[in-house]
Amino acid sequence: MARGASLPITIRQVTKGYGKVLALDRVDLDVRSGEFLTLLGPSGSGKTTLLMVLAGFTRPDHGSLLFGEEEVIRRPPHKRDVGMVFQNYALFPHMDVAANIAFPLKLRGTPRADVARRVEQALELVQLGGYGARRVDQLSGGQRQRVALARAIVFEPRILLMDEPLSALDKQLREHMQIELRRLHDRLGMTTVYVTHDQREALTMSDRIAVINGGRIMQVDAPRPLYERPANRFVAEFIGESTFLPVAASAGGFAHAGRVLKVAAPPAATGRCLLMLRPERLRILAAPDDALNMLTARVEDVVYQGDSVLVQAVLPDGCRIGVRAVSTAAAMATVARPGDTVTLGLAPEDTVILGEG
Amino acid sequence: MLRKSLAAAALGAALMPAAVTAQELTVVSFGGSYQAAQSKALFQPAAAALGIKLKEETYTGIADLRLKVKAGAVTWDVVASGSGSAARAGAEGILEKLDYKVIDTSSFLPGLWQDHCVGGDVFSTVLAWNTKTYGDKGPQSWADFWDVKKFPGKRSYRNAVAGSLEPALMADGVPPEKVYEVLSAPGGIERAIKKIKELKPHVAVWWSSGAQHAQLMKDGEVDMVNGWNGRFDVVAKDGGKVAYTFNQALLDYDCYAIAKGAPNRDLAMKFLAEISKPQYQAEFTKYITYGPTNRKAYDLGTIDAAYAKRLPSHPDNAARQLPVNLQWYIQNEAKAAAAYQNMLTE
Amino acid sequence: MPAERANADGLRRDALRERLALFGLGSPALLLVLVVMVLPVGWLFSLSFLSDEGALSLEHYRRMLEQPSYARIFVTTFQVSALTTGICIALGYPLAYVLSQLPRRAANLCMIGVLLPFWTSLLVRTYAWLVLLQRQGVINGWGIELGLWSEPLPLVHNLAGTLIGMVHIMLPFLILPLYGTMRAIDRDYVKAAANLGAGPVRAFWQVFFPLSLPGLFGGALIVFILCLGFYVTPAVLGGGRVIMVSNRIATDIELFFNWGAASALGVVLLVLTLGLLYAAARLVRLDGVLGGHGT
Repeated sequence: MARGASLPITIRQVTKGYGKVLALDRVDLDVRSGEFLTLLGPSGSGKTTLLMVLAGFTRPDHGSLLFGEEEVIRRPPHKRDVGMVFQNYALFPHMDVAANIAFPLKLRGTPRADVARRVEQALELVQLGGYGARRVDQLSGGQRQRVALARAIVFEPRILLMDEPLSALDKQLREHMQIELRRLHDRLGMTTVYVTHDQREALTMSDRIAVINGGRIMQVDAPRPLYERPANRFVAEFIGESTFLPVAASAGGFAHAGRVLKVAAPPAATGRCLLMLRPERLRILAAPDDALNMLTARVEDVVYQGDSVLVQAVLPDGCRIGVRAVSTAAAMATVARPGDTVTLGLAPEDTVILGEG
Repeated sequence: MLRKSLAAAALGAALMPAAVTAQELTVVSFGGSYQAAQSKALFQPAAAALGIKLKEETYTGIADLRLKVKAGAVTWDVVASGSGSAARAGAEGILEKLDYKVIDTSSFLPGLWQDHCVGGDVFSTVLAWNTKTYGDKGPQSWADFWDVKKFPGKRSYRNAVAGSLEPALMADGVPPEKVYEVLSAPGGIERAIKKIKELKPHVAVWWSSGAQHAQLMKDGEVDMVNGWNGRFDVVAKDGGKVAYTFNQALLDYDCYAIAKGAPNRDLAMKFLAEISKPQYQAEFTKYITYGPTNRKAYDLGTIDAAYAKRLPSHPDNAARQLPVNLQWYIQNEAKAAAAYQNMLTE
Repeated sequence: MPAERANADGLRRDALRERLALFGLGSPALLLVLVVMVLPVGWLFSLSFLSDEGALSLEHYRRMLEQPSYARIFVTTFQVSALTTGICIALGYPLAYVLSQLPRRAANLCMIGVLLPFWTSLLVRTYAWLVLLQRQGVINGWGIELGLWSEPLPLVHNLAGTLIGMVHIMLPFLILPLYGTMRAIDRDYVKAAANLGAGPVRAFWQVFFPLSLPGLFGGALIVFILCLGFYVTPAVLGGGRVIMVSNRIATDIELFFNWGAASALGVVLLVLTLGLLYAAARLVRLDGVLGGHGT
């Protein structure tokens, strides 16, 4: 398949209210041409509404939407020329696989011979060569997903939208498809907006992730900065596990329990702030290490989780935190036991201080 | 009263020694206002006079009786019926022969009883018209009924053959007394049907029941109709704009018969004798303008003289009418009905 | 050894008992079908082959062949049924479509409106039409009063009146199954069609309409078959000019005192209807119509 051109998407002040509730609240977002951008958020956050605005199925109250240079906010869905993969695939049950994929081509008046060729190409692209004559209800979940994808890209749209396309698949298949979708995107290069509530999926696939909550964009960033330097408590809590300790600004920086925290980069926040603790960034120290920020805690519980072991501990001030350790045989032999008092270390580079709220 | 009842009971017991408890007679009729009139004027008073218990049921027609007789499960004693149906049912053997030594028809109008049924009331199939459309210059003959130039307007005609061919022949110029002669001759039925076909474009409704043709006149839905006189009197009484003439009307009667194998055959015979008496017949006319079959009913003085003149069986009216020939119907109705249905569906 | 097949017999008996219990649940209905369906139809069937004297005979069928009125009545019956079904589809499909697109609560409310006629008797509704449509009825009265037309329109006692009455009675039978099917069509199908480039008209005809066909066929078939047996409406509103099989059955019973003649008509109608059902089943997959084809 020819590498199609891609278009940037510019979203400005898009607002959609349902009664008194704002599903989208003055959303500004730029999706770069050819980028894989994921809209990530809990259910009801507005991520699907935003995708539906892009597809043209939801009419916002106001705002502007550009595909490239063109204003499309009032353009009906069938004239937007964007591909879309629906959550439940929405494959037409009264057509076979080939007819489903040929549907957009026929609507565009593609010559009959070209239709057959391009359908087969699209099927091969999603590794379903020869499946054209199958009925939709003869396909497995994963196969349907691929057919839906083939149908969405066969007419070479410059923008591809996906609404939680992998949520119906089992875990293994889902992880496999994540890699495959990303590879396909890299090959075709179309601007892709992907909706999911699965943070791991978002981290795995995306160039950038836009975290949405309450109809507002909380943060747009690449996966690593998003995880490591979340802009606020919501983003930090939604992506990965975290615990927060109140910290106070003091002369030398921020202090917790009277000790000034060592930080790699000075935090932007001021006033009352929070120290973000991620379980896998904490370590149980055999001996104190002054290069690290150190906390003392009493072990309450040790939970073996296969790929890791989670130690639950309580700080002197009563805060409950988790520490994740590798579960190698050596580590397991020396792992703490409930009742032990341990010293925890946190590297300055992993020490993140957020504004409260 | 008590003595009379006891006597009747004793008599009943003597007649049917085997059935001591069978002093309950079952009568079946067509229901509606017609049966209500029968019940009030005939059935209940007669039962009281005979001192018997009476059970009234309703049915839709002789076909129901036929099923019961064929199944050997006859529960009805007295059956009310049209004269034609009764004649055919009698010929078929599903009615008991009546004992005219028990039932006294000596003062009956001629022709109003037959082997298997005794006449109960006389009615006419008359020509009725809307007085709003035609004023007092209404049609007076079947020829007028057929004359759509002189009497423009919508017609309604019966959807069944009974009573439908005779008017057509009279309209075609056959004198009343020759009607059945012509109908019995080859081509007679066809001639009548052909005449009805002429009128067909002007027939708005082919009526199927007395209630329907009464309603049609009441609503002014049609301007002219052939139908049963009693129904039109009810319409006129309710303020409907309808009048009719006995001229060239068809005189027919309803009758009572006894089902073949009736559980109380002899008691039923007594019952028929009772309701054939003039006082019952006179009483019946109070409920509906159908005339008595027993001439003596007019002599009792209980029927108002002016009212009597409006009854179909009043001598003045009877003379202007054509009595329905049951024999012809027994022999020809099935054939004529087929031709009639054919005409209707064409 | 026995341990390997421990409890095998007991478990098999349990399974058998469960199946018997299931059959037990169904047996009252089976019995009912036998008593109210199979026996009367069988009785009807046998009556139609008996002469008036009770001998085996084809006279009732011969009569139907000999008299042209019977053939015409069957033609009328199928014509009226087909016309009614067609009008029901023309009126009912858009209505069911609108209902299926409404929010569920509003649709339920409207559905009560659609079903409202079911709460009054068929006879009452039929006579109500007579009052509305006749020469001096409400509609002609208003029409003439308002100067829309000067002579009373022939709205009743004819085919038009019969169709009006029948469509009114039959419409819910079309809408109910159709609405159910349309409701079950995932809206994403139409969205997907739009997204792939189909305008509203094409999305409807190429996606929504084919998916609604099982409901349409089901509803149309119910309407058509119910129409075949109609009696009251043509009798009251047809003015004796629209004679359907049921009306003729009633006349024949009166005329011949005889259920055999009427039974023969019933048997022929039944056979023709079954033939039609068979043809329809071959045309469309019947499981889709009767079983609710899943998506």
